[in-house]
Amino acid sequence: MSYRKLFIGSNVLLLVSFAWAFLKDFNAEWKPYQKAYYKMAAESLEKEAAAAKDPKVAERLKAEAKKMRKSPVEIKQIIVADLNRFDRCITCHVGMDEYTNPTLKNDFKEHPYKAHPKVDDALVKKHGFTKFGCTSCHSGQGLATTKDAAHGWVKHWEKPMLKGVHIQASCVKCHGDFETLKGAEVAAKGKQLFTKHGCQGCHAINGWGGVTSVDLGDIADKPFERIAGYNFDKIRFDGKKLPNDHHHTAWNLQNWILAHLINDPAKVTPNDPFAHYNAEPIPPSGMPDFTKEIDREGADAITAYLSGLTKEELIPSRWYVPGPKPKEVALSGKQVYEKYGCQGCHGLEAKQGRRRFNAAANGQMPIEEVKDEKTMLAEMEKGLEPTLPDLMGTYTHEELVKKISNGVPASEAKLYNPKGPAPPINMPAWKDKISKKELDALATWLLSIAKKDDSGF
Amino acid sequence: MPTLDIEKLKKEVIDSQLWRSVFRGGVWKDTPRDRAAHIIGNVWLHLHPVKVRPRALEWAYTWGMGGISFALYLLLTVTGVALMFYYRPTIGLAYRDIKDLEFAVTLGMFLRNAHRWAAQAMVVAVILHMIRVFLTGAYKKPREFNWGVGVLLLTLTLFLSFTGYLLPWDQLAIWAITVGTNMAGATPVLGNEGPLGSVVGMRINNDVRFTLLGGTMVGENTLLRFYVLHCVAVPLIVGILLILHFWRVRKDTFSAAPYQANEEKVDVWPHLVKREYIGAAATVLFIFIWSILQNAPLEAIANPNVTTNPSKAPWYFVGLQELLVYFDPWIAGVVMPGLIIVGLMAIPYIDTNPKGVGYYAWKERPFANTLFMLGIFMWFALIYIGYACRGPNYAWYWPWESWLMTKPAPPPTWSVFGPKDAAMFPMWLGIPLLGAVSGAWLLGPKLIQKELDGKKTMGAFLGLLTTLGVVGMVMGKMGPIELGFLLVLAGASFYYGFVLPQRHIRSLDWPRYLVTMVLVVSTMSVLLKMLARLTFNIKYVLTIPSISMNF
Repeated sequence: MSYRKLFIGSNVLLLVSFAWAFLKDFNAEWKPYQKAYYKMAAESLEKEAAAAKDPKVAERLKAEAKKMRKSPVEIKQIIVADLNRFDRCITCHVGMDEYTNPTLKNDFKEHPYKAHPKVDDALVKKHGFTKFGCTSCHSGQGLATTKDAAHGWVKHWEKPMLKGVHIQASCVKCHGDFETLKGAEVAAKGKQLFTKHGCQGCHAINGWGGVTSVDLGDIADKPFERIAGYNFDKIRFDGKKLPNDHHHTAWNLQNWILAHLINDPAKVTPNDPFAHYNAEPIPPSGMPDFTKEIDREGADAITAYLSGLTKEELIPSRWYVPGPKPKEVALSGKQVYEKYGCQGCHGLEAKQGRRRFNAAANGQMPIEEVKDEKTMLAEMEKGLEPTLPDLMGTYTHEELVKKISNGVPASEAKLYNPKGPAPPINMPAWKDKISKKELDALATWLLSIAKKDDSGF
Repeated sequence: MPTLDIEKLKKEVIDSQLWRSVFRGGVWKDTPRDRAAHIIGNVWLHLHPVKVRPRALEWAYTWGMGGISFALYLLLTVTGVALMFYYRPTIGLAYRDIKDLEFAVTLGMFLRNAHRWAAQAMVVAVILHMIRVFLTGAYKKPREFNWGVGVLLLTLTLFLSFTGYLLPWDQLAIWAITVGTNMAGATPVLGNEGPLGSVVGMRINNDVRFTLLGGTMVGENTLLRFYVLHCVAVPLIVGILLILHFWRVRKDTFSAAPYQANEEKVDVWPHLVKREYIGAAATVLFIFIWSILQNAPLEAIANPNVTTNPSKAPWYFVGLQELLVYFDPWIAGVVMPGLIIVGLMAIPYIDTNPKGVGYYAWKERPFANTLFMLGIFMWFALIYIGYACRGPNYAWYWPWESWLMTKPAPPPTWSVFGPKDAAMFPMWLGIPLLGAVSGAWLLGPKLIQKELDGKKTMGAFLGLLTTLGVVGMVMGKMGPIELGFLLVLAGASFYYGFVLPQRHIRSLDWPRYLVTMVLVVSTMSVLLKMLARLTFNIKYVLTIPSISMNF
């Protein structure tokens, strides 16, 4: 081929490729939605005009319809500088743009044309769109202008849109008093369940609670990098794996929290109890299996509550509504037991200790008889936290107070399988957390439910 | 009826005062004088000579890679300046500005893609240019200096790409830069973690890494520093060196090809200019189409508290990162790259072979070409391993394996020589022994005056290795894979590091011989250290913890 032909050909191709790039950019995903909205809005205005009796009104409506049809096709955004929100959601969801649709109402049934539901409710009124933006409550990627990216259904966007009841997480973010707030009932129930089942016994929230596991005060900010993909892979919802293809629609923080409540956590995070991959054996997650105590609805409620626990710096303190100060009331021993989450490990009302991996317990097969790893694992899983009434008959009040105060170090655990890992949880020292008065009440109550030793010793 | 006389009109336009004030040539008559004037009278073209030897025009000879590298540099300048209109280098704004480019700016995504892909392509083009120049011996006298300038330009190309890597301020960016700059902290003497660093008073907040980062970790100051380096400082230096590079190319008659009898030069306009244009146009076209089809990566916003797993350096440095598996950072990140740069620049001065200038001459320059291509092969093989075969915890994952699979931790390692609690054998034994082995290796090939029979020597060496390997296997200390590593890596080191030098460079004078051997032995030490780890789980051959010096 001659250079003349190459010269002409390469120039033509350069122009074509640039035009291609430009057209690709020009035909942005959001444009058809916005155009369709203008058309639909104009048509309904025209319909109103045709139905109007007063010719003046009809004229006005017609003019409005004409203007609507000619509205510029543009990226629309709500800028809320002090919340660091730059939300372009209304580029497609034009019905929620106060400038195009001042009443914020319309009759369209489908997204993205549909107006925001319940715009007359106090809840929505108090959170004006121009003042709060969209992602303050809904999460998602406000800057994006393509469907998947904007809803956060893409890799590397850590806060996809909150779905269903989980949106109440957003109430928790700013309202310290969310437990008494209308509209935040699910999150309030979540907090109640969290306390009732003793989660705070191991998971402190902003320093309040046990230290056995992570503080959940900033759980909503947990980076995905800290959740190993292979653990996501082990989550089952109704017996099914989460789809991995559409990354954060399924592999997101809400499902990670949920997974701990509707799956046995030891199955989600099995780790390496036989040291196949590591130099030392690592026990599975020490978190008890709550699937029998907490139903799916409760799990969703807890998820909604926890998803609101954020340390996001971008929420200025002036947006934060503090909750009521806790009242100082004398608690009964049983109430103390529940307040500090002892039931998280020792069971509701101290009736039955929960699983303690690889602790020696009654009813385990003698270790010499265990031949394969599967049976061994099953036997190690039979390890239990002490069932308190069975144990405390031999304790005096002072001994019990001392034990709760100082805890029991992991090194004192009696192992079922001496080659296996130390149990993942052990009794923490509570002396800095529980007051003397409360300790006394707790010990008194515990001794009152203890089974008495009748053997004469 | 008035007729339109185009020729007359054209002449009138060209002869008008306005036209003649801008373009001085007058009507184009395609005479040699016209063609010469076109080059001389044009500020953009006059860096070319008027005539050039036809050999310099052949694509098969030049690969067009120098010109393509420059075309990419220009494309990067244009797209880069356009991007600067939208980008603000602060940690609060940088990431958001990239998102704006992606979602709101007209052609913003395309611009960013083009800049990103052109930068990657330029790294490849510059390396290919270097390979071509080496293989045609075009660095030999009188072009030694320009080769050195070229090596600097290659280094600066990598540095430009590296500084640009941080600017999107996403997780990919800060962790890649963290990996890269941590190596600087291991610089001997100048880095706080490097050998002798603490002895001369280097701390985390006053060493060379601190200077680079403007802090003790990648942060706001780093972003600003890298931005200024990327957009102003380095391009300026590259520009100056480019002018020098081009000027030298022109003064050195454009092509190193040997003169032939009755060789007639051809006009640069149009013969060279048209080729340059086509090369540039094809390159830009390639980048455009790539940018339309493939978006540049952008991960979550940078978070210094959350390390990505695995964290990888930019791909062209992943080879050095892979060396971190086998060497301490000061060797992998400072000594090795330093030796590569200095070694490349030294090549024209140690290669005294007069043959093979201006044409591909594998047979006439067996030693130079083999060793150079071995180095290139190792560089890219290590990049491939680091980029494609390393997964979470930097464990080995084949490209087809899912990263959701858990991999066993590597077996425990041990050190051969060092202090009592750190190694198997004492230091006083190790230092003289290793010194003696290195010395013998360095001097051996020249001291053995007679050329050894390559096949017999190799056969004997491999026979010895196989015997040792079989003994090891019988004793249960070695599997077939370990034996494979032993044969391939030790065999290659012996062949390229001893047999070849013995055959080809023993007649060099001592200074040149020693410099060459130091470079050769350093290259082979990479293979041998890999062997020591892969087959024998050796962490260090010699460890001197008191001055953080480990080999």
